Amino acid sequence: MRIFVTGIGVISAIGRNVAENLHSIKSLRTGIRKSLEYKLMIGEVPLSNEQLVQILNLPDEDFSRTTLLALPAAKEAWGNNKNDSRIRTGLISSTSVGGLDRTEKYYSHSQTTKTNDHYSLMIHDNGSTTERLAEELGISGHISTISTACSSGANSIMQGARLIEGNKLDRVIAGGSEPLATFDIKGFHSLNIYDKEICKPFDEKRMGLNLGEGAAFLVLENGQSISITGNKPICVLCGWNNATDAFHQTASSPDGKGAYLAMKNALAKAGISPDKIDYINAHGTGTGNNDLSESMALKNIFGNTLPSFSSTKGFTGHTLAAAGAIEAVYCTLSLVSQAILPNLNFSTPIPQTGLVPETHFRSLKIDYVLSNSFGFGGNCTCLIFRKY
Amino acid sequence: MAQDLKYELKKQIIEELNLEDMNPEDIQDDAPLFGDGLGLDSIDALELVVLLEKYHGVKITDEEVGKRVLASINTMAEFILEETSKKK
Amino acid sequence: MTKNIDSSSELVTPDYSEFIPAMDRRRMSHVQKMSIACALDCLQQAKIEQADAIIVGTSMGCCINTKNFLDKILDAKEGPVSPTSFIVSTHNTIAGQIALLMKNHGYNMTYTQNSLSYEQSLVDAILCCAEGLMNVLVGGTDEEEDSIYNMRARLKDDKILETSGASFFIVSNTKSKTGAVNLIDAGSFGLVKNTYETAVEFLQANNTTAHEIDIVLYALSGKSSLNELKSVFGAEKLFDYQEITGTYYTNSAFAMHYAIDILSNQPHPIFAEVKTVLVYNNLIPENLGLILLGTKNE
Repeated sequence: MRIFVTGIGVISAIGRNVAENLHSIKSLRTGIRKSLEYKLMIGEVPLSNEQLVQILNLPDEDFSRTTLLALPAAKEAWGNNKNDSRIRTGLISSTSVGGLDRTEKYYSHSQTTKTNDHYSLMIHDNGSTTERLAEELGISGHISTISTACSSGANSIMQGARLIEGNKLDRVIAGGSEPLATFDIKGFHSLNIYDKEICKPFDEKRMGLNLGEGAAFLVLENGQSISITGNKPICVLCGWNNATDAFHQTASSPDGKGAYLAMKNALAKAGISPDKIDYINAHGTGTGNNDLSESMALKNIFGNTLPSFSSTKGFTGHTLAAAGAIEAVYCTLSLVSQAILPNLNFSTPIPQTGLVPETHFRSLKIDYVLSNSFGFGGNCTCLIFRKY
Repeated sequence: MAQDLKYELKKQIIEELNLEDMNPEDIQDDAPLFGDGLGLDSIDALELVVLLEKYHGVKITDEEVGKRVLASINTMAEFILEETSKKK
Repeated sequence: MTKNIDSSSELVTPDYSEFIPAMDRRRMSHVQKMSIACALDCLQQAKIEQADAIIVGTSMGCCINTKNFLDKILDAKEGPVSPTSFIVSTHNTIAGQIALLMKNHGYNMTYTQNSLSYEQSLVDAILCCAEGLMNVLVGGTDEEEDSIYNMRARLKDDKILETSGASFFIVSNTKSKTGAVNLIDAGSFGLVKNTYETAVEFLQANNTTAHEIDIVLYALSGKSSLNELKSVFGAEKLFDYQEITGTYYTNSAFAMHYAIDILSNQPHPIFAEVKTVLVYNNLIPENLGLILLGTKNE
């Protein structure tokens, strides 16, 4: 059975929709800037909550920014799709922040919910932000939220494919949404892995990550659904896998075992050998640990056949739970444009590996694209897309 | 005075790193804090840097300095005394 | 006979040092310790060295650590912030820590869909088995924490007894000597207009009817009426599992354990023979979680 990607939508620091994101990538224009509020380099979506509510024509409600970012991306992907009782449809989103962006504003450690019953303390949970999205899209039934830190978005997409292949659903809108939150910014800064400048994925002098925010969704359909909707396939999702590093809560193992297993098994699922991959969109956060560990895993899988690869986090920042979904959309753009996407801010390879990422938006015949996403808890996911 | 400081450090370490089953008497002044000694890890190292700044007003900004200073209670106490006397 | 929960009830807390080394335990909140202890116990009971997948459903995740980190941020003001609570605050820390302690490199997933979190984990576990995995560790867990989430307001019920819990299971592809019951199916239905219609369709899809179900373990939110549930299934079959679990979003996992106990320990004190039990989780009125279990021969 083939899993077709028939809709894509994205909002990030480099654009409010697919076209704007692609334009920024082609122009090598980053969305990471010094934030006045946080005094750090951050990939912010340059729209306030109030502006998003207005643009989306939403009622006057204290929405979590998780929902406000998810909506434009999900609506763009959903397009003209409609509910149809013949098509079993689901929504799978992902987030780490959920309603925490509201909670942290009203949180006070001297109070419990008996003394502080602000509305935001009712929407703190991840699931409620997804339900709000489902309501706006008119979807009911299989509504799900995955939360596996930085691999979440990719896991949502993988789960959508598995449910379709397992004959539980025919059509799934899957992706993730992650707003900026003081919680995360302070958190990553406390780990000493935050670059004061714009991040330098895979570079010898990389100093850490920059955080970003955004959302992205894909619409996945089986053949039966397409025969009813008439949607045109953009590409095919042909391989996926999730594996665990089991080395440390936050650091990746020196040989990138989890990453290695996820890629190996995803290739097996796709039924292809490593040399068939034409482009890799790496996790590439710009931290000392990830980029080295991921490079070792890439070398172990691909050996002498390592194709062009890049991290696009120099454009968007690390968007945590949304990253896997945003980068999945970028992979489809790579296939549609028949081009390798560039890795910004690279000048010198990591001495232990000598690997050089692609630094230009370069035309190439591309049949297969591989995308990596790795999260806290050693959670490693790999997706493989094929040209339609 | 240095002994008081070392005892205080041990208490703070036990509390901040949540070493539930330990007492200050269980930590030797010269025992390695990382690896085979107390068995602390990279996250604990970050916590110790915060501890030094929060309770003793001294900062570690360099990874190499950090490795040297955080080796044992002795090296941590020495660093605090050095940095504090520089300020005077 | 089980004693019903009340406001004086205390959480049963084993000696976690039997399961978790001190240097790992020191960073763990309730929800992580409960889950790891359950998970390791499951492996022992099933007599397997390793699970092929670890799937956890948790609505609120590691909320005590989340609260702790919020406190650290407030206390630090502009100064340095202590990182430990942050790194163990993500929802998937539970499944991740289980994998770390077990040195498990398999599939690892975490669902966070409030009252449907556990059912979604189970749906995934069933899918894993259909894909050929042999032994899947699956669980539902939540810890009580009342400063960052107002469950009473969300469920519109001031009388709920909020508590914590963790229930884990090994779901296997093949019948084994230690296998207790048959997990027939699980379903997660969000924003449902008619929960009873949805339940009847679910049962139909599993070649059965409401009439044929022997026992229904249910949870309804405070304001919901029991009448329709009675008319669909029959009043004599209904048992409110929240009387023994208290309220947390993944308490349907406990109900599944209770169902397994009922099916494995026959004859039942009230019913002659219990062949099927349905867990009917309608804790949030518009969300319906269903778990259908039967004896080994069903």
